[in-house]
Amino acid sequence: MFAARRIEYVKTLLKKVGIDPARLEMYNLSAAMGPRWAEMCDEFVDRIRNLGPSPIWLASRKQSEKGVTEQ
Amino acid sequence: MKSGSNLERVIASGKMAVTAELGPPMSADPHEVIHKAGQLKGFCDAANITDCQTAVVRISSIAAAFIAQREGLEPVMQMTCRDRNRIAMQADLLGAAALGLKNCLCIAGDHQKFGASGKLKGHPGAKNVYDVDTCQLVGIMKKMRDEGLQQGGDKLEVAPKFFIGASWTPMGDPMDFRPYNLKKKVDAGADFIQTQGIYDMELFKSQMEKARNLGLHERTAILAGIIVPKSAMMLKYMDSSVAGVTVPKELIDRMNKAKAAAGDDKKKMRELQEQEGIKIAVELVQQALEIPGIKGVHIQAIEWESAMEPIVKAAGLYPRPVLPAE
Amino acid sequence: MIVGKQKPFDEIWDMVKGFKKVLVYGCNTCVAICHAGGSKEAELLASMLRMRAKQEGLDLLIDSAGIERHCEPEFFEPLDEKVKTYDLILSTACGVGVNFLADRLAGAIPVYPGINTSFYGAVPEAGFFVELCGGCGNCILHLTGGICPIVRCSKSLMNGPCGGTDKGKCEVSSETDCAWFLIVERMKKLGTLEKLFEVQPPRDWSTATHGGPRRISLEHIRAYEAEEEKKATLTGEGK
Repeated sequence: MFAARRIEYVKTLLKKVGIDPARLEMYNLSAAMGPRWAEMCDEFVDRIRNLGPSPIWLASRKQSEKGVTEQ
Repeated sequence: MKSGSNLERVIASGKMAVTAELGPPMSADPHEVIHKAGQLKGFCDAANITDCQTAVVRISSIAAAFIAQREGLEPVMQMTCRDRNRIAMQADLLGAAALGLKNCLCIAGDHQKFGASGKLKGHPGAKNVYDVDTCQLVGIMKKMRDEGLQQGGDKLEVAPKFFIGASWTPMGDPMDFRPYNLKKKVDAGADFIQTQGIYDMELFKSQMEKARNLGLHERTAILAGIIVPKSAMMLKYMDSSVAGVTVPKELIDRMNKAKAAAGDDKKKMRELQEQEGIKIAVELVQQALEIPGIKGVHIQAIEWESAMEPIVKAAGLYPRPVLPAE
Repeated sequence: MIVGKQKPFDEIWDMVKGFKKVLVYGCNTCVAICHAGGSKEAELLASMLRMRAKQEGLDLLIDSAGIERHCEPEFFEPLDEKVKTYDLILSTACGVGVNFLADRLAGAIPVYPGINTSFYGAVPEAGFFVELCGGCGNCILHLTGGICPIVRCSKSLMNGPCGGTDKGKCEVSSETDCAWFLIVERMKKLGTLEKLFEVQPPRDWSTATHGGPRRISLEHIRAYEAEEEKKATLTGEGK
């Protein structure tokens, strides 16, 4: 599957810029698999929660805080 | 006489020639060259002084050849196409001739990337030259000697008189082309040829037959290369990893047997293998000298120069002829 | 075509991080085919640089753009004005493109290379590129069965294989074919093996890079172009 290989490639790019590749995942399922879909969503949300805020979000916030105090 | 070197005189006399090999050290100290020259002197007609073999920096071939000559050992300086362009080559040839050197072997040289695959670091990031190849270098040297001209056409006041050599890998791929490879080197002007190490004499005989059919044995002096085996491990390595070398299983078995005879005694293991290695080398020398068209042997006892004496003596090639210079 | 490979990301980042407004400028000819520097790769690289800049807390504007070619002046024209608004151009064109654009900008804005231009090559299969020509300026492929010994032989030998050929492979790497092994086999098939028996004399390398920078001038075309230009100016004046 071409998409799967591309996801793997993008993971290597994310790693290069300092983003944990675990923040990107590809899931495979059919439109009739509603319950499984919910499960996957929960699973991924849990994973991201455990990883914490993204470094980009953290850096942006730090900067805006700095902006506020400076003002 | 083209050069008047001792090697040329021995070959011209019709006697079987013997050449050896001396690898210069990675050191600015000349004593190792002097020591090795002392071990080889008297047991060969000339000794090749390698030119940064495996692309590792060592005392230059010309300088080490000069030291050897001073010690009374006739050198065959080597020149690779890897490190010099035609300007540096010809300048070095003039310099070498001015120092009294008379033999030169032309080779392509191990690629600098290949050298790094061994134990040493080498210089895999070096820029190589390969301005000319072996055939072309042979031709340049011949033009200098016979026409007194540089490759570019400028005249030389005094021409360098070299006895010109080239290497030949008779059993390298593509094997059916190798006799023609030799022919090109002879056509270019090679006076003598030293072959890659030979263990498979039957295969070499068939390649020699092809060379004879081209009439090459009459136009150049072919010296069969013999690399003295030191251990079973070395023979296995040569068989599997050295290009153009195949070792018959029977020879490896003989070495293994010699090793096994020593039991657990490490020192004895080495001694017995070395003894067997010398025996094998003597047999190879004798077999090679019987092949029609062969004019001598090039015996390489790599980092084991003391092996030359027993081999040359046992092969009935001692004493070496003493021929007066013209 | 010209084959290149994107430079390591950290190396690019070190080049870029000191600037404020950067344009990643792609070329959609050769380097797009080898997935190194087309518009798509330029966009991707710009996006990665933005992610990195954000994390480092740097205020960096990074855009991307692409044009068909970086080796002919007319392709640059539509973006000339836009290009001048940046303080660094990170070119993902080949080295020719980097030089040509830097000359065009004449020191007004720096042009840095985003890719390593590697060789003239072909694409035997998707995602695989091999060097087949050295651009030496004096072709001898008619003598060697269409296989170039100058770049396909590690030692650029002209008179046959060296002693390092092992089972048809080069001493430099067991993954590299020995060019002379291939040449001999090809010449046998062509029935012209005897062509290889002739000694090739030392080459004149002055047609390669060893004769100084090279140029080719087609006078008839240049004269015609000059005339057309003259005509255009004249009719322009007539209006």
